Amino acid sequence: MIALCFAIFLLILPTAAIGGVRAFDTPDDGGNSITVVWDTEPLRASQAEYVRIEIQRRVVSGSGWDDLGKIPIDDSVYVDDNVENGVGYTYRLIFTDVSGGAIIVDSEPAKSSPQLFNSRRTNVLIGVLICIVVLGYYFYRGRKGGFFYVRPIAGLQAIDEAVGRATELGKPILYSAGRGSMQRVATIASMNVLSSVATKAAEYNTPLLFPNNDPVVAAVAQEVAYEAYVKAGHPDRYVAENIFYLTDSQFGYAAAVDGIMVRQRPATNLFMGSFEAESLILAETGNSIGAIQIAGTDSTIQLSFFIVACDYVLIGEEYFAASGYLAKDPLVLSSLKGQDMLKLILGILLILGAILVTAGGGELLSVLEIG
Amino acid sequence: MHRKLPLLICFALGTFMLVQFFVPHKASTALYEAILDWVQIIYAFSLLVGAMMLIKHHAVIASGRDAKERPFSILILMGITVMLVAGLFFGRGEGTVFHWLFQNVQAPMQATMFSLLSFFVASAAYRGFRARNSQAIFLLVAAIIVMLGRIPVGEIISSYIPKAADWILNVPSMAARRGIYIGIALGTIATSLRVILGIERTYLGGK
Amino acid sequence: MGQNDKNKMGIQGRHFIFILMAIVVAAPLIFRVGLPLRVTAEVRQVYGFLDRLPPHSAVIFSFDHETSTLPEMVPLAEALLRHCFRKNLKVFGMALLAEGAAVGDDNLRRIGSEYDKKYGEDYLFWGFRPQFTTAILALGERIDHEFPSDYTGQDIRSFPVMEGIENYKDIAAVITVGDGDIPVYWVNYAQARYGVKIIPAVTAVMATTMYPFLQSGQLVGLAAGLKGAAEYEMLIGKPGRAVKGMDAQSGAHIFVIILILVGNTVMIAGRRRKGR
Repeated sequence: MIALCFAIFLLILPTAAIGGVRAFDTPDDGGNSITVVWDTEPLRASQAEYVRIEIQRRVVSGSGWDDLGKIPIDDSVYVDDNVENGVGYTYRLIFTDVSGGAIIVDSEPAKSSPQLFNSRRTNVLIGVLICIVVLGYYFYRGRKGGFFYVRPIAGLQAIDEAVGRATELGKPILYSAGRGSMQRVATIASMNVLSSVATKAAEYNTPLLFPNNDPVVAAVAQEVAYEAYVKAGHPDRYVAENIFYLTDSQFGYAAAVDGIMVRQRPATNLFMGSFEAESLILAETGNSIGAIQIAGTDSTIQLSFFIVACDYVLIGEEYFAASGYLAKDPLVLSSLKGQDMLKLILGILLILGAILVTAGGGELLSVLEIG
Repeated sequence: MHRKLPLLICFALGTFMLVQFFVPHKASTALYEAILDWVQIIYAFSLLVGAMMLIKHHAVIASGRDAKERPFSILILMGITVMLVAGLFFGRGEGTVFHWLFQNVQAPMQATMFSLLSFFVASAAYRGFRARNSQAIFLLVAAIIVMLGRIPVGEIISSYIPKAADWILNVPSMAARRGIYIGIALGTIATSLRVILGIERTYLGGK
Repeated sequence: MGQNDKNKMGIQGRHFIFILMAIVVAAPLIFRVGLPLRVTAEVRQVYGFLDRLPPHSAVIFSFDHETSTLPEMVPLAEALLRHCFRKNLKVFGMALLAEGAAVGDDNLRRIGSEYDKKYGEDYLFWGFRPQFTTAILALGERIDHEFPSDYTGQDIRSFPVMEGIENYKDIAAVITVGDGDIPVYWVNYAQARYGVKIIPAVTAVMATTMYPFLQSGQLVGLAAGLKGAAEYEMLIGKPGRAVKGMDAQSGAHIFVIILILVGNTVMIAGRRRKGR
């Protein structure tokens, strides 16, 4: 009886200006979601002290209201992730004050639908398209036989010298791709460098040792090296056992490679790939056995360790340039030119951004936020 | 065909992964989740390949004539056997042989390797930080300030040392690092595009 | 960059440095000095963020390290876990490196028991997933799809603590306790793509890798190395093994500075000799 009286009391209450409830399809999502928003300002301005908001939902063609739960009084948004696409829903908010009085506000019906494009990521799309267009243009020029000059990179020029030294001393070359898996770009670049190194090792008949941290990288490296030996005309000199998987443990790998260095005494160590804290352990051990060491990595923090302990270091982009540089592949070289162009665009944007922030227009940079 | 098929798969999946970032539709998300599942499943198989490669490699050395390498390969094969038997037949929980070996053999050995870093940092610092020219002097002074600023002693000497260390890390060092990061990011984008378009094929094993 | 002076410091010189370093690190661990400690802004940011979270907010602890770095990783994890449990947050553990799984499970249970927390009700350990990039991305879609069962093999939906937890939308922060590059992947994939808050607790050697992300506002804060752990221990008012270890770290830093100075003195003396 009391409940009935309360229900009648609720029904006769006026739907005051309080609330301003609006329901709409949640934007930029995969569907099955409706967002309900309301204005909390009138609640605060009201003399009554509101303590609770309840939310209910009804299918437009249906009859009864389903309770969805209670909402903290300060909230102004509710996302209903449990709706069917294409079905109309009406939402009801019941604002209850401290004395038990309540105001009911209903929304207009809303339907949920899935979107095909997340408009909050338009900025990323523009960025991606710019990259594709710029790089695509230079790929096109490269395919047409365009010439691209790349400045001499000391570390890459030294590879020949390093392989030659190993041959003179009759000692092996040790190659490491570090800790990266095959999906890392640094590892892909490493395979390109390996191809050139293996070709030279095949020509000079110098053993090439390549202990691996990842089984997939080991398998790919075997293929890359074999192709290089075939290309050099010496498939008989290829020893598959020299390219092997060791362990995926970081320091287990460092210990094993150190052991190989100390026992086999390679004349040349090439560290090309993604490295972590093991970089200094490897490079210092190589230094202690007097090997010529060349390192290339995208791991910025490890660069400082390699610089101290190695003879030559390829820094960041120089390392990515290695494959095009060594193979003289015009398509790879053309992408380097494309990267330069993108860098120029980024540089201009950075300067504009800095001017904008300095001039107090920093809020405009919010267009760069990813949704 | 044996080259074209992987290139086609790479192009299709690479393009899909790029496009799906912008498509919130459930169908796109479902396919995306399925691809993520497959990547993990394939990786699990690659571990098996790795284990087989490891055993084969060391079995060849252990049965060979290289006296320098043979004892280590025998030790590795013994280690694999012991851990495999302990883990498969006697459980891996607390109180098992596997757990004991993990805690008392593997963990200390690995920690030992990590701790070697401190020794190598010391010898590298002794050899590497030489005041050969004005740039090297800058580097040397900055290194000393940062090292002092990261320990309580720096604060004791002067409250400016930690502040100077923070400034070095947050301004000049950061500027250089960001420059390298931007270069690396562009290199990553270019290489990824080359892989998707089939220009970069080394990952398939040769050109 | 030219050829290094490889043979100028012989084996004896190198070993002498190694022995001195061992003494410098070990001595303060035996004879405590108790140097004062300054709490840095980045550690204070982590503390402040976790402290302001409402009770029962969910945080993920990802143990992305191997056993080699336990002396740095465990004090960091312990201090952060103590804070989370004290604040009655829901704690979910996981590992993206196999070795981190055993360590993470042990940490959660040990620190959880200090605060009378119950497994499955207050915290849960999901377990290990290989291929960290895909695992990080997959958690953004559906957690129970990526981890259908917990570390002990039970259905994760059967645990009350999982109620209302679907994906990153329901996670207040991810604390990645890592010794390698994995914290960077958390930033690149979970933060950039899903907007989840990231708190890296990393080794000192990896700290500088995280600074650019800290400055760009992509991280809540940063707790790095033994020093970060010691600072956090001070903030939660429970000084532990990290605070004790700081004297040793100070000793090592000072020793390296002395080595640099000695190295330069030797070089200058050598030049003068040559000059004569």
